[in-house]
This record gives sequence, structure tokens and C-alpha cells, in this order.
Amino acid sequence: MYVGKPLPRPEDFRFLTGRGKYVDDIKLPRCASAGFLRSPHAHARILRLDASRALKRPGVIRIVTAQDWAKAGHGKLVCVHPMPSSDGQPMREVLRPAFAAEEVHHVGDVLAAVVAETRHQVLDALDAIEVEYEPLPTLSVTARALDDGAPVVHEQLGSNLISEILRGDPSLAKQAFARAAHVTALTLDSNRLAGNPLEPRCYLASYEPETDHCTLWATTQVPHMLRRWICKYALNIPEHKLRVIAPDVGGGFGNKVNFHVEVSTIVWMSRELGRPVKWTATRSETLQSDTQARDHATEARMAFAADGKILALQVDTIACLGGYLSNFAPSIPGNSYPQTITGLYTTPALDLRVRTVYTNTVPIDAYRGSGRPEATWVNERLLENAAREMGIDVVEIRRRNLLQSSDFPYKTPVGRVYDCGNPPALLNRLVEMAKYKELRQEQAELRKEGKLMGIGIAAFLDKSGTGPSRQLSTRGGLHGGFESATIRVHSDGKVTVLSGSHSHGQGHSITFSQIAADRLGLPIEDIAVVQGDTDRVPYGNGTWGSRSASVGGTAIYRASETVLAKARRLAAHLLECNPDDLDYENTLFFVKGTNRKLSFAEVADAAYHGASYPSDPGFEPGLECTIFYDPPDLNDPQAMHLAVVLVDERIGRVRIREYYTVDDCGTMINPMIIEGQVQGGLGQGIGQAMMEHVIYDPDTGQLLTGTFMDYAMPRASDMPPLQSDYLCVPAPSNPLGVKGGSETGTIGPPAAIGNAVVDALWHLGVRSIELPITPYSVWRAIASASAGEA
Amino acid sequence: MATVRISLTVNGKPVVSDVEPRWPLVEFLREHLGLTGTHVGCDTSQCGACTVHVDGVALRSCTLFAVQADGCDVKTIESVSAGNELHPMQAAFHQHHALQCGFCTPGMIMSALDLVRREGYELSEETIRQNLEGNICRCTGYYNIIKAIGAGAKAMRNASAG
Amino acid sequence: MYAFEYRRPATLEDACKALDSLAESKPLAGGMSIVPVMRQRLASPAALIDLGRIDALKGIGVPDGRLRIGAMTTHFAVSRSELVRSKIPALAQLAGGIGDPLVRNRGTIGGSLAHNDPAACYPASVLALDATIHTDRRDIVADDFIVGTFSTALAPPEIIVAVSFPPPDAAAYIKFINASSRFSIVGVFVARSGGTVRVGVTGAGHHAFRCRPLEATLMTAFDPQAARAARLPSDELISDINGSAAFRAHVIPELAARAVEHCMAGTSGAIV
Repeated sequence: MYVGKPLPRPEDFRFLTGRGKYVDDIKLPRCASAGFLRSPHAHARILRLDASRALKRPGVIRIVTAQDWAKAGHGKLVCVHPMPSSDGQPMREVLRPAFAAEEVHHVGDVLAAVVAETRHQVLDALDAIEVEYEPLPTLSVTARALDDGAPVVHEQLGSNLISEILRGDPSLAKQAFARAAHVTALTLDSNRLAGNPLEPRCYLASYEPETDHCTLWATTQVPHMLRRWICKYALNIPEHKLRVIAPDVGGGFGNKVNFHVEVSTIVWMSRELGRPVKWTATRSETLQSDTQARDHATEARMAFAADGKILALQVDTIACLGGYLSNFAPSIPGNSYPQTITGLYTTPALDLRVRTVYTNTVPIDAYRGSGRPEATWVNERLLENAAREMGIDVVEIRRRNLLQSSDFPYKTPVGRVYDCGNPPALLNRLVEMAKYKELRQEQAELRKEGKLMGIGIAAFLDKSGTGPSRQLSTRGGLHGGFESATIRVHSDGKVTVLSGSHSHGQGHSITFSQIAADRLGLPIEDIAVVQGDTDRVPYGNGTWGSRSASVGGTAIYRASETVLAKARRLAAHLLECNPDDLDYENTLFFVKGTNRKLSFAEVADAAYHGASYPSDPGFEPGLECTIFYDPPDLNDPQAMHLAVVLVDERIGRVRIREYYTVDDCGTMINPMIIEGQVQGGLGQGIGQAMMEHVIYDPDTGQLLTGTFMDYAMPRASDMPPLQSDYLCVPAPSNPLGVKGGSETGTIGPPAAIGNAVVDALWHLGVRSIELPITPYSVWRAIASASAGEA
Repeated sequence: MATVRISLTVNGKPVVSDVEPRWPLVEFLREHLGLTGTHVGCDTSQCGACTVHVDGVALRSCTLFAVQADGCDVKTIESVSAGNELHPMQAAFHQHHALQCGFCTPGMIMSALDLVRREGYELSEETIRQNLEGNICRCTGYYNIIKAIGAGAKAMRNASAG
Repeated sequence: MYAFEYRRPATLEDACKALDSLAESKPLAGGMSIVPVMRQRLASPAALIDLGRIDALKGIGVPDGRLRIGAMTTHFAVSRSELVRSKIPALAQLAGGIGDPLVRNRGTIGGSLAHNDPAACYPASVLALDATIHTDRRDIVADDFIVGTFSTALAPPEIIVAVSFPPPDAAAYIKFINASSRFSIVGVFVARSGGTVRVGVTGAGHHAFRCRPLEATLMTAFDPQAARAARLPSDELISDINGSAAFRAHVIPELAARAVEHCMAGTSGAIV
């Protein structure tokens, strides 16, 4: 049995020895270099763009702008996951243009592309393009986007509203608030983040006129979707003329799910010029051009009965989507956020309003957690503040409100049905691991010495395994949620697994091998996994939203089942017996009660020889199976985090002294991989909690965090001592029992740490803390509390 | 642009080349010598993905010009393993799942080896943590990297003793 | 990166000649400050004169009782030097906390001081320790050396040859670290010699400066509580994404108080 074991990864060898093949590593002869001219203004009219001087610079081959894009008959960078308003009105859509034509709407907005022989020449040419701008009033503060008199990002729309999503029952909620024994209210904004995978985006396209075919090597999480979108929406070219290869990709986290102007232009230019063209982003460019994340302005209230039971939750969120609509963006505040806003608690009434808005900032889209960190921040901060206000222990208030395992499947006020789980067991394990009672005692003792220790918890839900394709389409989604798998047995009995999922660090190769090897009853050394090539792998929807194990893995499982069933049938035929008379063990088919046997390899050999096979209708030579698996449901991982912090209140420095996590991620195929995912997620979650922040100047929209000098990336010394455990309830919706495991790490920390810091400072009158929890943020919280503004 | 002729040793082999002064060493290694194991992850000399050894000392190859490496002994990640056999530090990274996407990994290994050179084979968790300030990883959360470096250092001591 | 000419002279004399004769040339020390700026195309010297091979610029000694550090001495070397650790341990502590190990392997005291980043650590220390910057043509006391944002009293093609420090009776450096840049949000270096106390502050103004009010307070009583109770005006301090001027005004006395506590305990400081 391989499933359940922490087996190491085969791809490590090439990464460790510097032989990974990332897109920028690929060198092709005659390869030209590309670059993009980006707006330095957040909002401006383009009065004049003159590339004539630039065209004369050494090595320059082509310069293209919006006019060239239109002349070429190209299309749009379509939003593939729209969210209409709840009243049925479509979103007020302004897509990211390929190239800005009349106006720019955020710093980094693309106006032109240059192709030259070398990177240095591209940069020199970009410098020589003359642009005259007329700056326009700028809106870069999300909370102000819907104010009267706020600058309007897209004049033709009249306001910055994109859509308004309403969930729950406002009148039911109003009644609940009216009779509540206690109401807690907070402003709970979510800070804007940049995913910053360490490998910047890079695209290399090579068009060969002889075959009228283009190969695109891309840093993408979704090779098939990327091919489809470039062909169908952006460039209007036949799909069979474009091959997309995603080789080794250095992290994605959602940043590499989109199809932007850069990738479309690289393919376009290669086709036009008949030679390879490459673009590699710099980090500064990444911070202006990769999609960004979170950025909610939220006012929220929770109503309680006298015993601390939740009666209602009311949330009013303005969710920023940036200067244009990106490909998936509306679904994050519009769907993922509402689906998890009530978390793991029985919430009888909900009144949720989400208004998505434009601001003059880089477009927002998916990033690890997508909507769940925002939801958890709201839900958990309200709950713990209420607990303290009502004099109820924060663990106890959760005991009173948590869903019990018998409550599942549980239908939330939003309509989503949570599949399974045992939240009280998670909580028990968490407090046991952390020695909660002793922590409280220690906190009291330290307080006497004037030392401020805080304890905070986050209990939460994730949403994974997207998902049933029909469900996606009811919301207007233009893509499916199925996943492909081919199990190809070769004539010697070894196996290649082709998966439409795409690992960019998640270790699919070993995980999928474990699934296939177990299901096929073969040694794991006989299995190889192939991904990331649209010419080799049938259409898949790629890796995002923690879907690869539950959807991609199940596809492999099912295809393996089919292959094994066929092998069994053929073995029975060759052994001249009934398939039911066969046992299969240690790669051998035995006729029961005899010593007649055939190995799997011998069966494979026979399958490809084709000399003898059953006459069952439809039985063919060969031994392989391709399936497109459409999952019947999402799944609902759960987790709980506890943070212990020490606050050096004189300078505002927070040190996380200990951190605990308990996860229910369903069946753990490879515990080592899961643990790595939880820890990696924590790196990003702690980043959001403590230091990461994309900041735009509130007046000019200038990006103030344009490099790692100002955008704080967590280092090893920022990570706290950690203890983790797993209590897993298998998911009912897939035969593996798997739930997603890769995003809980990002979801818990803002709430857990925020709660801990407020806990530490509660006696000073602090009731709220702004993300990220920098020393300045802590100092402001203490200062405003002592000024009576808490 | 006028070029300068440089002569240096790269991974034990002599290299003579004409370079523009403005080429960072990392560009020379990646584009002109085909040594793509050294990576570029940022443009403010912070991420450490480009870490190499020059005259036995780890530094960022994005912040050194190729011309400055004239007469120097440069070692990149490609020199660390012996053929198909992993160096004890690399093996430790593998055993401890200290890499996910692999992009920061060459730089991490080169920094880890330099840490052993500076601080010896017995590395506390605290020492390792403090000495990884110059290497950013976005995937792992660093826990397994710290374990791997401690184990790798010990394995290096055993390998040198045995 | 814009194109430039490159020279790597073997002697100080050759370096000075090159800097004098090549228009728009700049000395290249460890490269930790100038190279990133060039990569971002924010600076474009026409020539770089690499000082890396000039032995006369390296080394640490104690001539005439002063601690003298060659301009091209790396942060790593300063942090590990037995001489520095015995004469001015707070300086070794400071050097060992600059940037990260890769920066410390290359960055130099001369390069750092010549660049004079408003949040760099060394400038605070030379002010607090009453150091002297020795150039190829004169000696400049620290108070006169630090002039403005990224600007010093150096008159190109003048270069720093060494920095010398009179060892204090006690000194400590508290670096309130900036999570993104790993420079300081604010750094405070306190040094006491006899009845004289000097307080060098970095990260809080347009350049490192001496905090005279705190110096006066601490010369009245070298007492952390006295420092802690000090109220500083914020009008000349900077505001940025890491904190307002008021925040910095609040933090400086606290960091100074902790530096004093370290001085009294005989320890050299901390990164907080």
C-alpha cells in the first residue's frame, strides 16, 4: 500500500542539482526578446504615443499597440467566471484590454509591446517610446469607491460598482439583531496582497511557418485552459495549431492561472515574425502586472443570545477587483467568500452584501485561499471579541456554536451544503496540543509582571475541489470543473499516467503514482506521471482551488479501475476462466485454487500483441483508458489554528511564540506532501497577518510597494515554532475520501494572530487591529484605544 | 558596446569569454554558459535565488558583474553533486521535503553550504533560521529547509570524517 | 542596466587616477548598494572603478588606541574580528546584523558610509562613536561627513580609505528591523565615554542624525527610565509606510532606553 505513506518526490533530483527546466531556462536559436511599456500613472488619458524613435533603436524588430491588436482582428481577455448581481443584472464589465488605447487605469497598465533581438535592446527601446499623458483623478482606496463624488474609474459606467451580491435573509437577520442579548460590531478590512511566486512569469513562443504550428512554453497552472483562451478569445486561432507546455513552474498560488496581454502578445509576435519570442517579467514588473489579491473593506456585526449562541451575522463588504475585470476575479468575493462566511458555526440568519468595485489599481484575481481568509477574518474576529465582551471563554463560545459531526451534511444560509466533519474533535485536539488551560494561567502570571501575552484561535472552513461543471455554468462560468486522466499501460506492463492537473510544487508526481500504483496493484517504480503538455495530455482544467487530489486524483483512480478491470478480463480470457475466479495480488492474476497465473506485464504484452482477446462486444486490443471525471460535489476541508503571541507594546512588535494547527483534509494520500502544503500556506498566511501589504498612494494611486524592499516577504526567522496534527474525516464525494489540503495554512493566521494580539491588549482597551499587524498597526491600535476611540 | 575579456574558472573548468561590463554574473552564467540552475527571482538583491560561490564565499550573482569575476573561481549549483550522486546537503533536502517548486532550492543549497563553512557542522535551529535571511522561499514555510540544513550539516561532518 | 566601462585597479593610486580621469565614474566597493540601483536603471555611471583588489583598503588595526577599519572590510569581517569585539563589541553586533549573510559577505563599511542610506546602520554608529572618516586626501569627522539623503561630504573623486573609532566606555545598538528591506525602521546607537553620551539615530530622518535632546537627558543621568520618559518632537522625522513621524518619535526614546540597558549590562544590543 502506497497511499498514506510519506514517500519522497522523484522530481527533487533535478531541482536539487540545478537541472530543473523552467521556461526562462529554455533557449531557442534566433530567439527574440519582448518587453512591455507600462503606465506610470494610475489614471490618465493617453494623449499621444509615438514609437518612431524607439523603432530606430538598435535591434528593434516590432512595436505594437492597441491599434495593431485591433487591426490584427484579435479579441478580448474574457472574464471566464462572471458573477451577475443578485437581482439578475449582469456585471458592469470592463475587461482588461490587451493594450490600453485611450486611457490607462492603473500603474502598470500596458500600452505597447516591443520585440528586439536582446533584453537590453528591448529596455533601451522602451525608454525611447514617447507618451504624453493627461493625469485624471484617481481612486485607489476601496472603502471610498462608492462614495458620492469619488473619482470614477470607467467614466462610461457612471460609478465604480461592478455587481452587488446579496445572500441570506435580511429581514430574518434584522429580527435576530433586534432580539439579541448582545451585538458585536467591527470594521474588518482585508489587506491587499501580491502572490509573488518566486519564479516570475515567463512565456516563450516558437512559431514554425513550415508546419503553421506554434509551441508556447508558459509559466501556467492551467495549460489547456490557457491554450483554449488564447485561441478562442484572444487571438482567434485554431486550437490544434497551438501547443502549450508548462514545464517546471516555480510556484503559482493563483498568479499563473490567468491569460493576460503578455502571453497573448508573445504568441502573436512569434506567429507574425516566424521565430521564437520570449518575455520574462522582472520582480518590479510582477508587482505591477501579476494579479493581486484580497482587498476588502468590511463592516460586520454578529448577534448573540445571552448564552453566546450566534443568532445572526450581518456583513457589508466592498470588494476591490482593481482597474479591470480579470479572468476569475468576480467569483472570489462573489462566490468563495459568501460560501464560507458563516464558517463552522450554526448561523440561523445571515445578511450578506458584497459589492464589487473598480479602483485604479492592478486587477485582483485568485490567490491561495481566495475569499476564505477574508471570510474567516470577519467571522472569527467577531466571535472572539463577542466572547471577551460577554465574559465567555473563547474556546467555550466555540463549543457552544460549532457544528457537531451529526449536523453534517449541513446547509448554510448561503445554500452551500457542507459535506462532513467533526469540528468539536478538531477543537479538542487543538486545545489539548496547545495546553490551553496552562497558557491562560501563564498569561495571567505574565500580566502581573507587565508582560503581554495573547492567545487567539481561528476555526474555519475551506472550500475545495472545484467542481461540478454544471454548477460552475449556472453562475455563468465559461470553464468546467472536470479533470482528465489517461492510464496508459505499455506493452511491457509499465504505466504512464497523464494528468490534466499541473504540479508547480505540490508533488503530484509522487501523489498520483501512489494512487495509480495502489489501484493497479503495481510497484510504484513502474509508474511515471506526465503533465503540462497539451499535445500529450487530454484536456484538463489545471491546478488551483485545491482540486488536484480530489478531482485529478479521482480521475486517475477511476481510469486505473477501468484499466485493471480490462486487464482482469483479458487475463481470464488467456487463463481460460471466469474473471470472478481470478485473484489479483502482487501483480499476479491467480486462478483460484490452482497455481495457474499470469503477471500484469504478461497481460499487457498480450493486450498489445492482439493475437488473442475476448470476443466480448467492444473489446479491443491495447490497455489504456482516458476519462474526464466531473466531480459530483466540492468538498469542505476544515482546520483550526491557535496562536500564542508576545506583544512588546512599547514598540508594537509582535512575536508569535507558538503556533498550532489541526487539519481535517480527508484522506491523506501523502502526509509529507500535505504537511509541506500546510506549512507553506502558513508562510503566506503569516505573511498576510504580519507584514505583507500592497499599498497604493491614496491620492495618486502610485504603487508604494513596488519591490521586495517595500513588499515584505516572510523569511525563515518570521516563522514561529509550530505543532500540527491531522484528524481526518474522509470526504464522501470521491472514492479516495480526499479533501483539499493546500490552502488552510493561508486561511487561519490573520484571524488567529489578530485574535491573539487583541487578547493581549484587551485590558488596554484595544478591540480591533488592522492587517497587517505591523509594529505601526499595533501602536496605532493602542494609541487609539487610549484616546478612547476603540 | 565594448567588451572585456575575462578568464575565470567555472565549476572547475577554465572559461575565457568576452563580456559587456553591464552583464551581471547571473546573466553570464545562464545565457552564455548555459548554466541555468542559478535563478533570478527579484531585482533588489534580496531573494537569494541567484546565490553562487566565488572564491569560496557565497554571494548573489545578480549583484556582481561578470567582469568582476575575472580571475575568480566560481561554483554554481551544478558543481555540487558528483555525477548522479547527491551531495549530503542535497540528499538532506530530499529526505526532509525541503523543496516544493524548486526555484529557490539552488540558492538555498549554496547558502546552506556557506553557512556550514562559516559556522561548522553543528548548527542549531536558531542559527539556521537567522542565517537564512538572504534566501526567500514562497512554497515551504521554511520548516523543512531548517531541518534539512541541520541534518545536511551533520551528514557533511560524517562524510568528511569517514 | 545601462552600459558602462569597468576598471579594477591594483593600487589606491591607480584607483584615484581612474576616478579623476574618467568622467562620471564611481567607485565600486561591495556593490550591495550601487548595483541594485543600476539594475533598476535608476543610476547610470559611465564607469565603475572596482576597489576589490586594493589591499591598502582592507584590514583592521588599533593604531594609537583607535580602532581603524579599512574601507573595503566586509561586514562579516567586522562582525567576527576579535579586535572589534574586544574594543567596540556594539560595532561587531551592528555589522553582524546588516542585511543577511550574503550581503555581509560582500558589503563594506566604506561602501555603506559613502552611499549613506538614510536607514543604514553604520551611519548611526559613526555619529554615536564620534568616528573619523579617512579619505585619500583628508580626515572628516562623522558629524561633518553625513550631510544629506544619500549624500556625504565626499567630493568626488575622493574616496574613503578607512574609518577610525575611539573606543567608548560602553556602547549598544538597537535595530528596530524593517520586515521588508531588513534595514531599520529606526536604529539607535548609544555610546558613552566618561561623562559624554552620543546618540546616533538612523531610519527616522532624511539621514542619520544625532539626537541632541536624548544626549542631554542621558548626560544628566545615564538611566534608561530617563530616556524612556523623553518626549521628542516629530516635525523633522519622516513618515512612510512603516510608520508615521509620530510613531518614530515615540519609538526613538524607547530604543535608546534599551541601548542604555545594554550598556549597563555590558551587552552590545539587539535586533527588535
